Amino acid sequence: MSQRQHSTYFRHYGELDNPTNGNGQEFEFDTNKPLLDSGVSRRTFMTVLSASMAMAAASCRRPEHKLVAAITPTEYQIPGLPNYYTTVYQHKNAAFGLLVKAREGRPIKVDGNEKHSASLGSSSAFIQGTLLSLYDPDRIRRSRVNGGDSSTTNAASTIAQAITSATNNGKKTAIIIDEHCSPSFLALAQSITSANSSIQFYTLPAIVSHSALANQAVFGLDAELVPDLSKADYILSVDNDFLGTDKNAVYYTKGFSANRKPSKENPTMNKLVSIESGFSLTGANADARIAIQPNDYSAFLSSVLVEVASLKGKAVPSGISANSNNEHKEIAKQLVAAKSPLIMVGDHLPARIIALGQIINQMLDAVGEGKPLSFNHKYFNSSDKTKDISTLTSDLNAGIIETVIYVEVNPEYYADSNLKKLLAEKVRFAASLSCSSHETSEKLAKVNVPTSHYLESWGDAISFDGTYSIQQPIIAPLNENSLSAQDMLMSIINFVNPATFAGTETYYDFIRKQNPQYSSTNAWETLLKDGVASSTVSSEVGNPLGYSALPTEQMSLKGIIASIKPSYSFYDGSNTNNSWLQELPDPITKNTWGNLVILNKKTADSLSIQLGEIVRVSNEKGSIELPAFIQPGVADNVITLTLGYGKTIGGNVHANVGENVYKLLSANSSLYTSVSIEKVGRSEKLATTQGHHAIERYDKPSPFDNEWQERTKDILGVQEGYVTFASLAAASHENHEHEAGEHSHHIADTLSIVPSYNYVGHRWAMAIDMSACTGCSACVIACQAENNIPSVGKKYVANSREMHWIRIDRYYREDEKGNVTTVFQPMLCQHCENAPCENVCPVAATTHSPEGLNEMTYNRCVGTRYCLNNCPYKVRRFNFLNWHKDKKTPLDLAFNPDVTVRMRGVMEKCTFCVQRLNEVKMHVKDLGRTRVHDGEAVTACQQACPANAIIFGDINDPKSKVAQASKIKRGNETQKYKEENGAFKVLSALNVRPSITYLVKVRNTNDVPKV
Amino acid sequence: MSVETVTQTANGSSPEHLTSASYQNNPYPVPDSQREPLVLGNPSIHDVTEKIAGIVEGKTNLKYWLAVLICASIAGLGFGAIGETVTTGIGVWGSNNTIGWAWDITNFVFWIGIGHAGTLISAILYLFRQKWRTAINRSAEAMTIFAVMCAGIFPVIHTGRPWFAYWLTPYPNQMQLWVNFRSPLVWDVFAVSTYLTVSALFWFIGLVPDLATIRNYVKGKTAKSLYTFFSFGWTGSMRAWHHYEIAYMILAGLSTPLVLSVHTIVSMDFATSVLPGWHTTIFPPYFVAGAIFSGFAMVMTLLVIAREILGLKDYITLKHLENMNKIILATGMMVGYAYSMEFFIAWYSGNEYERTVFINRAFGEYWWAYWSMLSCNVLSPQIYWFKKARRNIPLMFVISIFVNIGMWFERFTIISTSLHHDFLPSSWSYYTPTMVEVGIFVGTIGLFLTLFLLFSKYLPVIAISEIKGIMPGSQPVHHHDEEHHH
Repeated sequence: MSQRQHSTYFRHYGELDNPTNGNGQEFEFDTNKPLLDSGVSRRTFMTVLSASMAMAAASCRRPEHKLVAAITPTEYQIPGLPNYYTTVYQHKNAAFGLLVKAREGRPIKVDGNEKHSASLGSSSAFIQGTLLSLYDPDRIRRSRVNGGDSSTTNAASTIAQAITSATNNGKKTAIIIDEHCSPSFLALAQSITSANSSIQFYTLPAIVSHSALANQAVFGLDAELVPDLSKADYILSVDNDFLGTDKNAVYYTKGFSANRKPSKENPTMNKLVSIESGFSLTGANADARIAIQPNDYSAFLSSVLVEVASLKGKAVPSGISANSNNEHKEIAKQLVAAKSPLIMVGDHLPARIIALGQIINQMLDAVGEGKPLSFNHKYFNSSDKTKDISTLTSDLNAGIIETVIYVEVNPEYYADSNLKKLLAEKVRFAASLSCSSHETSEKLAKVNVPTSHYLESWGDAISFDGTYSIQQPIIAPLNENSLSAQDMLMSIINFVNPATFAGTETYYDFIRKQNPQYSSTNAWETLLKDGVASSTVSSEVGNPLGYSALPTEQMSLKGIIASIKPSYSFYDGSNTNNSWLQELPDPITKNTWGNLVILNKKTADSLSIQLGEIVRVSNEKGSIELPAFIQPGVADNVITLTLGYGKTIGGNVHANVGENVYKLLSANSSLYTSVSIEKVGRSEKLATTQGHHAIERYDKPSPFDNEWQERTKDILGVQEGYVTFASLAAASHENHEHEAGEHSHHIADTLSIVPSYNYVGHRWAMAIDMSACTGCSACVIACQAENNIPSVGKKYVANSREMHWIRIDRYYREDEKGNVTTVFQPMLCQHCENAPCENVCPVAATTHSPEGLNEMTYNRCVGTRYCLNNCPYKVRRFNFLNWHKDKKTPLDLAFNPDVTVRMRGVMEKCTFCVQRLNEVKMHVKDLGRTRVHDGEAVTACQQACPANAIIFGDINDPKSKVAQASKIKRGNETQKYKEENGAFKVLSALNVRPSITYLVKVRNTNDVPKV
Repeated sequence: MSVETVTQTANGSSPEHLTSASYQNNPYPVPDSQREPLVLGNPSIHDVTEKIAGIVEGKTNLKYWLAVLICASIAGLGFGAIGETVTTGIGVWGSNNTIGWAWDITNFVFWIGIGHAGTLISAILYLFRQKWRTAINRSAEAMTIFAVMCAGIFPVIHTGRPWFAYWLTPYPNQMQLWVNFRSPLVWDVFAVSTYLTVSALFWFIGLVPDLATIRNYVKGKTAKSLYTFFSFGWTGSMRAWHHYEIAYMILAGLSTPLVLSVHTIVSMDFATSVLPGWHTTIFPPYFVAGAIFSGFAMVMTLLVIAREILGLKDYITLKHLENMNKIILATGMMVGYAYSMEFFIAWYSGNEYERTVFINRAFGEYWWAYWSMLSCNVLSPQIYWFKKARRNIPLMFVISIFVNIGMWFERFTIISTSLHHDFLPSSWSYYTPTMVEVGIFVGTIGLFLTLFLLFSKYLPVIAISEIKGIMPGSQPVHHHDEEHHH
């Protein structure tokens, strides 16, 4: 036994020799231990954050990673008050300027930056969900080399050795990256390749856009264009889900919804015609929707093109011919007649079909400065990526690539089987830099390096209109071992060739050097504070009218055609280990936790498939087994499948949820394929948040028919479920004397035997414009993030126990031809003045505030659930179990400290974000005012809504937006109901007097083609 | 026989001897000897004591303890399921954010309903001088108390945080919080607890003279001291009987409105809501009729078994059973009327939600519950139009089980089918019970049977003093017709 002296206590000598406890576990007092492994105690966490905040200057943080005790109070940070920081999120090559709310140093809410061109202050469910991924407990914690733990430096040098050996062997190193829009990353890649000729970057996106290829052919512009929908008054969408799964959907929704709010005073409205095979959110919002097979897109657009050319007197490019059909002619006529038409073709379709759309756009004068389609508005770094993929494949085949570094890409999950085989067999050494472990990092890479989340690292991005933003970290990396992918690349290259980044230590320094115009502290701070700066975008195009060399590929699909779509929640499969997004109901199917085989009734009947039956979908590439979902509006013999599911590695949340549909895709990067379907003889209860009742009652004659019309009137404001723009426009010329608001007040007062409560101060109220709402569900996740709402998992969603405080009700009407009309209705606590939940609570746990809020006192709630039963809107949510019980650290750090985390056995529901109201009221009081001005109090759902469909404020202030909106009149007098259409209360006959006013849905169905 | 002869035939032990004094105040009118006798076999007063007190003193066989063991095990299973619910949460049940109440409140209303017959038989029939009640009132009252005890479990455990269930009672507290008197759930707390208290008191007061009889009868030391304690020093003196009769009458008077009020208030749990299918003014009388219906059915189920096993056929006669079957037929028709009236009003109201709810009840996803209810409650008692059927023991046993099932389904239909399809179709859902819920319900049946078994052994199942009072010859008789005098 050695005679060593020890100043600290120890358990056995092995502990002193080796900083593990002998069981392979970390020695618990190891100071090098990463933050995450220690479970992040509050104190440690605060220390780290306080330190980072202490070093922050003007809402920025320097990139040092040193710890300083928080004994000295940190500047800018007052405990209990939030700090807001700008940053930017790169959703592939679309940049979203963000404003992140941090409390005590940790980001707790992500919202759009109002000054940013793409987010315009709003966000999507996807962006809201990125916050939870930051705190994902399943993220990689440390580097691994050949399966064993390693330091980051060691990992970097191992990768560097592989690069050097490849160079020495005369082979190449491939750095495979995803699409991005960061000018600094682009410059970094260029610096690396120019200094090291054996290194080459390849962009390998999971979902490939063919727009750049089409734009190259039509305009001579190798980039994806971003149209401005607010400038278009007639939009023809061909399988383009610009309101749903598109990466820029927030911006498109803003532009589209801006022209969807007609009133008698402002009778203008755009029109959307959707041609699609599946049933997308865009189709659901269309004024006219035509379901055709993917095979027919080309013929359809060709016919429209020929017709438009003849109407406009333009020449038809060679090789395009029409198949005469009145329907095409009608649409062409309308396009030509429209003031500002625009055709949007899905960018996952073959380039030829997109090109046809762009040619028609050009014929219709939709292209140019001030037009919907401008050459100034294109994604940064959006040149055609299909070339990269084919180069990578041929280089691998040729055997010239020896080393591969996967930078936040997961080709093992999404690449086609041929490329996967090449990557597995032709590569001698592979390393993966990623936030979470995934199929590629586990199966292909020898070295794994954790990278930091975007909220933890520096970066930059350029938006489609040239807006430049800095991605600044809001929090120090939760995992001390992680670097940003760019920092890691720099440290690898420093081992290979130190001259490459001589004098530039970190990626942060690199970004600063890239932006000499912001070199002064003042300019840099202003840039960080605003989050945006302008930069110039070239609008050069090659051949404005030279569309002679159109791409030639056509779709030739037979039998059952699978139309494969990105996911509403995960797009291509990013952020899947995220319970918020897994539990977000698909806006159309309302299904959670998994993907489906979606097909229409006719197709299902022909294959004798029932709802929920598991079917095997297979083609020559592979097969998947998923439950069938019968969806109205899908074209015959078409099934829709969703990408992004079926992960097997990298987290407990996404493990074995759904199936990986990439298995069916082939190398041509087309999202359409012929498949065969067979039943496997099993069924599954689907975890949908909305039953199938709604549709049954609409389309089948049933004993409920008469009841249904009245019910529709009560719920959606009018008997038909919507008013037509034509009737609204006609009615706007008439004069109506009485106001809708007065009328309803009159009824309310006569029905009550006691006088109404007199609200003297504020009276909070909301107005929801169902005409603007697209059903995108950003509000659902925003509310979840703001209010600490738990996810319950598939089993409990299937039993209607989901906890969302706001949900989007989706109602269909299907005519005998199978045309589907959809109405979306956001439904949340109505804060009834005469609330039925309040008087039945035996312990007075839910009561009314003097400001009109229906308040829930969690502490007092015993959980009898009578309030839930008595709520006509069924918006109350009961904590059937302790949903937070199994929450692993650091997920608890995502909690909003202003909102109670509810225990099991208590009821909860929308509070109108009472914590925000109180914060605003205190702030206003500090300013010496007694009243909150209109627009100062913003609810989380309202803030997120890209359609600006939610208006919140003080209805006691007659000038407030909500008071104005609650008086909006829309449409005519129907035969049966003589009162004004427009603003209405849901289920007003119950006299519960909701505080939420809905504005009736308007559809622009006049002159819509009859199909 | 005259009063004197009764005294003479008494064996000298004090109860028999002293109870004779009570006949002076006996409220029962002159027996009509034209009618079927209420006690068969012409037993002597002493025989009655021997028979009923003998059950208490007699040796129990293995079968009895086996029955107790099985029932108690089932009850234990139920308590295990309750433990699971309390420790894990209501999530172990099948209810959800659309259907907040399902088996829990169904079982509550079911048991409360069963608890109606006892008080009705004891109090209302007592006030109406229905002599035939004496044979069955004791066990019916016991059943009431046990049923209310079973019922009482559910409002407590159905809360999300049962350890705070006491907040439903108004008590002074440092939080200065008071219950919400507008909530029918608070009324429920008062109604049920009052009902349980008064029923238990009424039952106990009625037991006192009989406990004294048993006190005198039993030989075991412990048993004797226990019965001595609970008979509260009953001497059977004239004064004691006088006070007893007054107290009994007062409690009968107090209980009578309670019979009506409890289920009226339970029905208000639903009637005061805004939910179509719940929000109905017919509920109070409908619920009370249903409760009496189900209560009589449960008494029938138990008595058919008890008279067989305990050999009480002479005391619980076919006449008693037939009378009860008549009540079952009458109340069954009342609930049938209520069912049809609900449909009529739903149609007549012109309210689309009312109509949908009722069409949905009959033809929606829960059609089986509705038709089970209708066939069990309305169709099956129709056979009692025939006297033969009313006096057929196996048949009445089957019908009573049917009615029990039907009444359970009635509550389930009202509660769950109204909830699962309410106003907004988007939130419509479906409810399926879990094993835990089934376990709790079955457990309450086990608890109920265990308590009843213990009662039937350790307490006089038939009111000894009252049955003596209605035996032929025990009454002071006005001799209208000498021929009728024996």
